[in-house]
Amino acid sequence: MNATIFALTLRQFAGWRRFLLMIGLVLVPGAVAIIYRLGGHVDQHDWTANILLNGIVVTTILPLACLILGTSAFGSEIEDGTAIYILAKPVPRREIIAAKFVASALVVAVFVLPATTVAGLVALQGVSEQGVITGFAIATLVGVLGYTAIFVLLSVATSHALLFGLAYVFIWEGLITELFSGTRYLSVRQYCLGIADFITTVSDQEFEAKLGGPESLILATLAVAAALVLAVRRLEAFELTDRD
Amino acid sequence: MKTESQTQATEAPPPTPTIEVLDVSRWYGNVVAVNDVSFSLGPGITGMLGPNGAGKSTILHMAAGFLRPSKGTVRIAGRSTWRNHEMYRTVGLVMEKEAVYPFLSGYQFVLFNAKLYGLSDPAGATRRALHTVDMGAAQDRRVGGYSKGMKQRIKVAAAIVHDPQVLLLDEPFNGTDPAQRLQMMDLLRRMADEGRTIVFSSHILDEVERLAQNVLVIVAGRLVAFGDFRAIRRLMTDRPHTFTLRSSDNRRLAVALVADESIFGVELCDDYLTVRTSRFADFTRAAPRIAKRENITMQEFLPTDESLESVFSYLVNR
Repeated sequence: MNATIFALTLRQFAGWRRFLLMIGLVLVPGAVAIIYRLGGHVDQHDWTANILLNGIVVTTILPLACLILGTSAFGSEIEDGTAIYILAKPVPRREIIAAKFVASALVVAVFVLPATTVAGLVALQGVSEQGVITGFAIATLVGVLGYTAIFVLLSVATSHALLFGLAYVFIWEGLITELFSGTRYLSVRQYCLGIADFITTVSDQEFEAKLGGPESLILATLAVAAALVLAVRRLEAFELTDRD
Repeated sequence: MKTESQTQATEAPPPTPTIEVLDVSRWYGNVVAVNDVSFSLGPGITGMLGPNGAGKSTILHMAAGFLRPSKGTVRIAGRSTWRNHEMYRTVGLVMEKEAVYPFLSGYQFVLFNAKLYGLSDPAGATRRALHTVDMGAAQDRRVGGYSKGMKQRIKVAAAIVHDPQVLLLDEPFNGTDPAQRLQMMDLLRRMADEGRTIVFSSHILDEVERLAQNVLVIVAGRLVAFGDFRAIRRLMTDRPHTFTLRSSDNRRLAVALVADESIFGVELCDDYLTVRTSRFADFTRAAPRIAKRENITMQEFLPTDESLESVFSYLVNR
């Protein structure tokens, strides 16, 4: 990984608009948990695992946070032309992708992990967590890596990364993998749920994933590796699109 | 010099070419941006001249390794530029786009580039590069607040911070004021005198004339002339020129003008004259003199074909 590109990417993320957007996004699970606690709060483990951490965090907040940072890590530079200052250098392309990936994943994790944990703690206040918070925290970390790798790939593969990313999050991950069980092997969300289910000790009635823990981990690792290798390949053949 | 019709004039190819463009074409779908272009360049300054949209940037991007030729090969120092990031150790690049990282100071921006080049003393190289482009005084200001000319200079500083042997510049004088332009021209001349190969693109004839020893003329994706600038300039100035004249007595002026040897055609139109000459400078001196001698008042005196496109069109059709 190239430390200079890593540091620059972190500075790129430091803008107020992006910061406020991320803060607004990650405050949602905590706010929903508080509203839940103010109500009847029955079936705490079931609600926390299925509604809060699966439905809100893993299905919505996590991929959107990764989308915002993963696609802008390199996509905005390609769009405005500053990518040339990185690409016209004797730096192996794998180092560039690694720096962009690590910086994006790190920042997403810094925002999303505490939000996941705090929301879980609020929702499960007064009862044993039974591995729900730990499981989803680890699952979220895996999800950060998986989603960020995919969105970094999208940012170097297409100038419409945000659009394709949104379609991927809501149509593929949100809809298709829910409707067709065979697609669970190609879903970062299902990998996250598989890992969370492996760690939690709640009953299957309360929370059950479609994939096992070890296979989720292996598939997530393969997905991250494949996305990053493809991103490196794509960057090695990067072409300027403006012409005269 | 060579034109497409292989006219022989002056220049032999340089003995050790640094940049070789061999039978290169580049197309986008059905649109041919660069069509079967070949040339080789050695140390010195070469200006790539052509109207907007001629294909200059496409050629520069291929030379810079940011476009794959659809056909042919581009080499720098004997190695293909495509998928060859190691070449940037000896190549500096200034692109036309104004884009810079707005949140970095000028110093940080050049330092960032120096570090990516893997220099042993990036801070020292940064200070030298900033001094070279005379940006030392503004080095602590954010690049986002720079004027267009300052951004251009800071981009040049970033491109020369590793002391490259080859420098590729796409429209480098855009946005610079006359003083900055002269300063940058001096810098490029100094770098060329030190044995570097410098290629810049421009659609301004004057810029190329003042700086380049060699010129590549690109029109509609084709290399129409390549070689010593003076020989090509002669071709450009010796071509037929057309002027429109209005005077107090067009018919009498026509009779007087046709007697002048610099003129080979006069046409009397409704209320003006169209005059054709092959000697631009001689005619511009002779016409007022003739009018004065004949006691005719000249009301309008316009060259009608002085656009760069018409000059290039002449070279293409020649």
